[in-house]
Amino acid sequence: MKYAFYPGCVSRGGCPELYPSAVKVSAKLGIELEEMKDVACTGAGVLPQHISDPINARTFAKAEQLGLPIMTICSTCQGVFAQANYRLKNDSEYREKINREYLAEEGLKYKGTTEVKHLLWVLFEDYGVDKLKSMIRRPLNGLKVSPFYGCFIRRPPEAITPTKELSRRKNYLDELIEILGAELTDISGKGKCCGFPILTANEENSLAMAGKHTGEAKEKGADCMVTPCPLCHLNLDGNQPRAEAQKGEKIGLPILHLPQFLGLALGFDPDEMNLKRHIVSTRTVEAKVEMLT
Amino acid sequence: MEVTFKVYRKDPEKDGKPGRSNYTVELPEDATVLDGLLKIRDEMDGTLAFRASCLRGYCGECMMRVNNSARLTCTAKVSAYTKKGPEISLDPPRNVPVVKDLVFDWDAFMWNKIKTVKPWLEPTGEASDGENLIPDAAMKDLRKVMSCYYCGMCDEGCTVLPVDFNFLGPAALTKAYRFVFDPRAKDTRERLKILEQPKGIWDCVHCFEADEHCPRGIEPTKRILAIRDKAYKVGITNEKVARHHASFAASVKESGWLDEGRLALESEGLTNIKGLMKLLPTAAKALLRGKAPIPYLHAKRPGADKIKKIFEKGEGEKK
Repeated sequence: MKYAFYPGCVSRGGCPELYPSAVKVSAKLGIELEEMKDVACTGAGVLPQHISDPINARTFAKAEQLGLPIMTICSTCQGVFAQANYRLKNDSEYREKINREYLAEEGLKYKGTTEVKHLLWVLFEDYGVDKLKSMIRRPLNGLKVSPFYGCFIRRPPEAITPTKELSRRKNYLDELIEILGAELTDISGKGKCCGFPILTANEENSLAMAGKHTGEAKEKGADCMVTPCPLCHLNLDGNQPRAEAQKGEKIGLPILHLPQFLGLALGFDPDEMNLKRHIVSTRTVEAKVEMLT
Repeated sequence: MEVTFKVYRKDPEKDGKPGRSNYTVELPEDATVLDGLLKIRDEMDGTLAFRASCLRGYCGECMMRVNNSARLTCTAKVSAYTKKGPEISLDPPRNVPVVKDLVFDWDAFMWNKIKTVKPWLEPTGEASDGENLIPDAAMKDLRKVMSCYYCGMCDEGCTVLPVDFNFLGPAALTKAYRFVFDPRAKDTRERLKILEQPKGIWDCVHCFEADEHCPRGIEPTKRILAIRDKAYKVGITNEKVARHHASFAASVKESGWLDEGRLALESEGLTNIKGLMKLLPTAAKALLRGKAPIPYLHAKRPGADKIKKIFEKGEGEKK
C-alpha cells in the first residue's frame, strides 16, 4: 500500500507536530509514503480557481506519473484538491485547456486518473477496519473524544460524497473514535466551520466559532477533540486562548490531530506524537493515556 | 401512522414567552410534515400560526426547522422521521425574530439583506438604441440562479449566521451574483465594493452548507466564491482581505508553498503596530512550544520556478 504523500504547508509550518506524527503512524501501519516535494500549495481556498486549478492539475499530473494515489493529512488540502479534481476529471475540455496552456511547457499532462484521499479515508476505504483493529496496542478506553471534521472533508457532495456508499465519509471520524476504544462525545458543530477561513476578514466571528465548538465539547464532558484538519487545529487549539478571552470563560480543551490520536492507540507515547507542542495543554489527555499503559 | 408534533409557540398578544405545544395526530403513510400542520390547524388548534402556500415545493414559503434541521415542510415526509421515533419537533429558523409561533420576520431574515445588495441591473457601457439583446447561452448560468424562490434554506444552513446575524448570508449574496455576472453589466466594480464590505462576501467561510441545503441546486457557496474570484481579478477593495490575499499569493508564487509566519504579519499589516501586538501572546506561546513558523525564513520548494510560471500565467488571464 503506497501513496504519493502530500503533507500540505501547515503540517510543517503552523502545526509542525503533525507531519512527523503522520509519518510515524503511517510507517507503523505499513502505509508506504513517497513524499511529493516539488509541488505547490493547493491554494487553500484563498487563491482563486483560475490560479489554483492549473497548479493543482500539475500536482495531479505528477502523481499520475508516479502511478500513485495521493494521500493528504489536511481536510482543507483534501477539499480543495477534491473540488479541482472533480472539475478536471469531469470536464475534459477544461482539462485539455489546462494541459495545453499550463502544463505542456513542463512536459506534463494530466489524464484525469489521480485519486486523492485523506488519511482518514485511506483507513476505511483502503486499509480496512479489521486490519486497523488488529494494529491497536492501546485501546483508548475511557477517553472521551469529540470529533471535528473540518468542512472541506464533508462537502461539497459531488466532490466528497459522490455515491451513497461514500456518504459514510461523513461519519468516519465518529466511527474511528469508537474503533480505537474511546468514547464518542458528539457535538452539534462537528461538521461546521472552525472559523479559520475568516480569521482575517472577521476575527470576532472566527473566534466565536472556535469558542462555540470547543465550549460545547467541554460542556458535554469531552477530554479532548480530534480533527483531521490542521487549519481547524490552528483555530481550535492555537486561538483557543483568544476565543476564551472573547467569550469570557475558560475552555481548556486539548485538540489532537488525527494521526496523534491514532498514534496513541497504536502504542506511541504522547511525547512521540509531539503532544507537548500544542498551545492548549494536553496534560489531562496524557495522564489518562498513561494510565492505560 | 400516529405522530406527535412538538411545536414551538409564541404569542406576542399574550405573554410573548416562548413555549411548546404537543399535538398527536393520525396521518396517512405518505403524509408530509405540512399535511400534519394543516390537520392540526384545521381540526385541533386554529390559533397555530405558520406559513405555507403552494403545498408542493414550488414556493419556498414553508421553511422551518424539522427536528432541528431546515426543511420545506411540504416536501418533508413524516415517515422519514417516524423511523427514528414517534415525535417530530418544529421550530422557526434560528436567531430570527418570531412574529407568532412558526411565523418569523422575513424582512430581518432575508429581505433587508437582499435590498443591501441592490437587487437590480445597472447596465454599464454604451447605451443601446434598441433592445439590449443577449445571447441565450450567456443567460443560461444566470437562469439557474434566477430559479431561486427565496425559501431561506441556505441561510438557515449557514455556519456564519448563528454567530453573526448581520452577515448578508448566502441567499442575498446569490442574488448579488445574478447582477455581478449579468452580461449587460460591463463594469461591476462599484457593486463589488458594496459586496466586499464587512458582513459581505469575505465573511463567508465557504463551508458549502448552503449548497447542501439549497433545494434547487443553485449552489450558493460556489456563487459567492465566483464573486470573490471576480473581485480578485479586478482588485480586492477590502484592505485587510487584500493584504491577506497579496501575501498568500506572493509566498506561493515565490516559494511554491505558504510562508505562514509572513502571512500572519502581512495580513495585519507591517505598519499596524496594534494589530501586530495582538498576535504577540499567541506567537510567544507558539515559540515556547517550538511551533511558530519564522517569517521570511522560508525555503523554496523544488520546482518553485515552474510553479511561479503557472501562477503568472494564471494571473495574466485577468487582463
